[in-house]
Amino acid sequence: MRKVLSNKWHIMVFVLPTVLFFTFFVIIPIAMSAFYSTLNWTTKTKPTLEYFVGFKNYIDMFTAKGSSFPDAVRHSLLYAGASVFLQLPFSLLLALLLARGVKAESFYRNIYFIPVILSSVVVGQLWRKIYNNDYGLLNLFLRAIGAETPKGGWLANKGTRLWATFVPVLWQYVGYHMLLMYGALKSISPDILEAATVDGATGPIMAFRIQIPLIRPMLKVCLSFSLIGSFKLYDMVKILTDGNIGTEVPATTMYREMFKSHNFGTGSAMAMFIVAECLLFTVLLNIIFKDRDRERSR
Amino acid sequence: MKKFVATMLALLLCLSVVPALADQHEEVTLTFGSIWSSESEATRAPFLKTLEEFAEQYPWIHVEVDWNEANAWKDKGDTLASQNAMPDVFYWNAGGILKAMVDQGQVMALNDYLDDETLGRLIDGALANMTFDGKIYGLPYTNACSVLYCNKALFEANNVKIPETWDELKAAVEAFKAAGVTPMTTGGGDRWPTNMLGDILMLRFAGDEAFRKAVFKLEGGTFLDEGLIAGANAFAELVEMGAFPDDVAALTRDESEVPWHDGKVAMYVMGQWEGGNLADKEDFIAVAFPAVPGVDSANAFMGGPAEEFAVAAYTEHPEEAYLLCQFCAENLSKNGYLSGAGLPCWKADFSEYEDQIAPITRQIVALTNEATSFLLWGNTALEGEDSELLMDQTLLLLSGEITGDEFCQNMEAIFE
Repeated sequence: MRKVLSNKWHIMVFVLPTVLFFTFFVIIPIAMSAFYSTLNWTTKTKPTLEYFVGFKNYIDMFTAKGSSFPDAVRHSLLYAGASVFLQLPFSLLLALLLARGVKAESFYRNIYFIPVILSSVVVGQLWRKIYNNDYGLLNLFLRAIGAETPKGGWLANKGTRLWATFVPVLWQYVGYHMLLMYGALKSISPDILEAATVDGATGPIMAFRIQIPLIRPMLKVCLSFSLIGSFKLYDMVKILTDGNIGTEVPATTMYREMFKSHNFGTGSAMAMFIVAECLLFTVLLNIIFKDRDRERSR
Repeated sequence: MKKFVATMLALLLCLSVVPALADQHEEVTLTFGSIWSSESEATRAPFLKTLEEFAEQYPWIHVEVDWNEANAWKDKGDTLASQNAMPDVFYWNAGGILKAMVDQGQVMALNDYLDDETLGRLIDGALANMTFDGKIYGLPYTNACSVLYCNKALFEANNVKIPETWDELKAAVEAFKAAGVTPMTTGGGDRWPTNMLGDILMLRFAGDEAFRKAVFKLEGGTFLDEGLIAGANAFAELVEMGAFPDDVAALTRDESEVPWHDGKVAMYVMGQWEGGNLADKEDFIAVAFPAVPGVDSANAFMGGPAEEFAVAAYTEHPEEAYLLCQFCAENLSKNGYLSGAGLPCWKADFSEYEDQIAPITRQIVALTNEATSFLLWGNTALEGEDSELLMDQTLLLLSGEITGDEFCQNMEAIFE
C-alpha cells in the first residue's frame, strides 16, 4: 500500500474522479456564473460577449434605485450575528449541560435534535401556525398573560417580521450545533477532566478553562457552518414570508432577480456575491483561529 | 365461382383490416404542468373531468400531471424554464408573464396547428393576451374577471346595504367594524390577491384608458394620473379604516380564505374561479366592485382571458401536445363554467345545462354581459421586474407603510 501511495501517478488516479466531479459540478458552474454576472442578460438578450457590461451588475445591485439587495445583505449579516452570538452560545450551554451527565441525557439529546431532521417546509408551516394572529400559540399565550401582540402580526409587523423569520431557523439548528459540540465534549479524555476536578475546577471554570479550549476545532466547524448557513439562508424565509419586503435575504433576492424579474446577469452577480461572501468569511475564520492557535502555542 | 368468392372474401378481409391499422397510434406520454393541487381548488374537479374526457377520446396519449399550488407553480415554472425543462403542456398566465416565457424560447407557437374552424370557436379577443408578433402562444380556458363577493347573510344580519358606490363601501366597512365582523380580506403574503384589489380600485377611480396606458406602458401612460393616485389612496384609506384582518399582509391566499369560507368575513375581491367554491353556498353573492360617481368605469372589469395552456417549444410530441392543449382549453372552458369555476371563452351551446349552472356563476355572467371593457391585471400585464415592483408596492400599501401618493410615485420607475 505504501508503495502504491508513494507513486504520485497512483495518487492522481485515485483523486481524479473527485477532481473531475468537483470541477464539473462546482468550479465550472461558479466560473460560468462569474461570466454571466458580467453580462446584460435578460429574456431579450443572449448570454454572449456582445452583451458584456463588466462590473455594472455588481454596482447596480447595490446602487440601483429600488434595489433591495443592500437590505438583503444587511439582514443576512444580522442573522449571522444572531447565529454566532445567540444560537451557538445556547447550543454550547446545552451541550455542556448534557455532557455533564444529566438524567435522561439521551432523551434530551434526541429531543433537541428532532427539529434538525424535520424538513424546513414542515418547520416553516409549524411556525406560521405559531405566529398566527387568531389561533397561534404565541399570541394566545401573550393574550393570556395580558401582554400586547404586535400590530399586523408577527410576520408582517415592521418591527418584528425580520426576527420572527430568523427565530425558527435559529431554533431549528440549535440541536445540530449542540450535537456536534456534545460529541466533541464527550471525546475529551476523562483523565483530563478528572485531573482538573482534582485541581479544584468545577462548573464554569471547568467549562471555560478545560472543556471549551479542548473543543476549539469543533467550535470552529460550528462557526463556519453557522456563518455559511446564514449567508445562503433561503428555504425558511421563502416559506415564512416568501422573502417579501422587510424580510429579504440575498438568496431570496437573487431568486427573484433571476426568475421573476428575469435579470439573469444581475442575478448571477448576486449569486457570485453570496459565494464570495461565504469564501471570505471561511478564510477569515481560518486566519482568526490560526492566529489564536499560534498565540496559544507560544 | 369458388375462386371469385375466395378472392372477394380475401379482399373484404383486407379492407376490414385497413381501418384497424389506421386507428393504431403510437403510445405517447405527455407531461402536464398544472396548478389546482389542492382539493379545495374550484377548478380541480372540472380539470380532472376534462382529463378523463381526453383519455377517452385519445386513449393512446397518456398524461402525467404535475400538480402544484398556483404560487409554487410560478416559481417552479420559472426555474424549469431556465433549464429548458418545461412540461410538454403547461398552465401559465397570459400577458407580460407569458411574454417573458416566449422571449426565453420556452413556448411553441400554435399557428401551424390552429385552423380557422378552431379559431372561430373562440370568443372575440380571446387570444389578445397570448399573441405576440402575430404568433399564438397559448389557448385560454376561461374568461377571467375579478368581482366583489359578498356574504349576503352577514349583510342582512348586520343590516348593511350591499355597496354599489365607493361611499357605500366605506359605510359598509364602518358598519362591519362596529359589529365586530371583519369587513374584507385578501392574501397579502402571496401578493397577487392584493394586487387584484388594488387594480380594481385604480380602475374604478381612473377609468380603463388611464390604467390601461399605465399597465401596458403605452404612450402617455403614467401612474401619476390623478385617478390612479385617487385609487391608490382609496386603498390606503381602506387599510387605515381597518377593513382587513390585522395580519392580512402575512396571510397567504389559502389562509385568508379560511375565515371567508367560514362566513366570518363580509367581502372579498377575487377572480371568477372563487364562484366555484361558493356554488353550493346560498349566503354568498357576486356583485360588480362599487362604482365611483363621476368616473365612467362602473362596468369596466379587470381580467379577460388571462390564463392559458401552452406547449413547450421543445416537446418531443408537438402534435399530441397541441391536441392535449387545445382539448383541455376548450373542454375546461365548458366544464369550468358548468361547475362554477370559470366563464367560457370558447363558444358552446349551454342551453341543455341551464339548470346545472350555479346562481353565483349566473350573477358573474350577468355582470360580464354588461362589461364595457376587460383589462388584464397589472401584475400579469407588466413584465418581470415591473410586475414585481407593482406587487411589492401594493403589499406596502396593504401594510400601511406607504401612502397612495408614494405608491404612484414609486411605480413611475417602470417608465424609466
